[in-house]
Amino acid sequence: MRAAPDPESFRLVIPSQTRYLNLVTGLAKRASLAAGMDDATAAKVSIAVDEAVTNVIIHAYRGESTHQVEIELRFREEALEIRIWNTGTGLHDEDVVLPDPKEYVKHPRKGGLGLLLMSRFMDEIHFKDADGRSECCMIKRTPA
Amino acid sequence: MADLLIQVREVDGVAVMRPEGFINAHTVRMFEDALEKLVASGRFTILLDCQALNYISSAGLGAIMGLIETVRENGGDILLCNLHENVFAIFDTLGFTQLYRVFPTEAEAFQAMAGKG
Repeated sequence: MRAAPDPESFRLVIPSQTRYLNLVTGLAKRASLAAGMDDATAAKVSIAVDEAVTNVIIHAYRGESTHQVEIELRFREEALEIRIWNTGTGLHDEDVVLPDPKEYVKHPRKGGLGLLLMSRFMDEIHFKDADGRSECCMIKRTPA
Repeated sequence: MADLLIQVREVDGVAVMRPEGFINAHTVRMFEDALEKLVASGRFTILLDCQALNYISSAGLGAIMGLIETVRENGGDILLCNLHENVFAIFDTLGFTQLYRVFPTEAEAFQAMAGKG
C-alpha cells in the first residue's frame, strides 16, 4: 500500500524546458502567499525559484529539453522550504562563488547574477547530492 | 496571453521600449533581439518603460548588460522608468541602480535627458 502523501508538501515534475518557468514561478508565488508572506516577499521567492530552475535547465542539463526537473514545496511551521532536483551536472555548496555586487558594478559582465539573486532573496540556499540526484534547497522563513 | 510582448516607439530621438509580461530565460532571446535591432539601426539612447513588466530575471539583466558598453561608446545610454517594486528590488539588489539611470516616470526620464533633471 502506498504511504499517504505528506499534507504539508506537494511536488511538481516538469520537462527541462524554459517554457514551463512561468508555471513554476507562479506556483512558487502563490505558495509563498499561502505561507503568509507579503506580495513583495512572494515575488522574491518566485524569482529565486526561476533562477534555480533556469540553472538546472541551462547548466545542469546544458539546455537539453528531454530531462526532468522535480520541485517540492514544503510548508513548515516557520518557513517555506523549496527543493529542486535534477540528474544532470550538479552544484555543491563549495562550488558556489557569489559575485561581489560592488565589483560587479565596477566591472560589469554577464553571468553569475542568478545565484546572487537566489542568495539575497532567500534566507538559506544549499546544494548537495541526494540519492543519486543533485538537490538545491532554498528556505524562506515565514513571518512570525 | 504571450509571456512577453514588446512595443517600441520613437520619441524625440529616443527609442522607448515597453516590454509587457515576463523576461526570463524563455523570453530573453526576444528581448535581446529587440534591443540588438535598435542598436543595429543606430538607436543608441533607449528608454525601457517597465510599467507593464511583471518581472525580469538575471537572464534579462544580462541582455541589458551585454549592450550597455556599445550604446555608451556611441554616446547613448539605456535608461529605465516606471519600475514595479519587485522589478526595482531585482535591479537594486544587484547594484544595477548604480549602473543605470532609473526614473519614477517617463516624463522625468525625458526631463533628465533634456538636461532639466
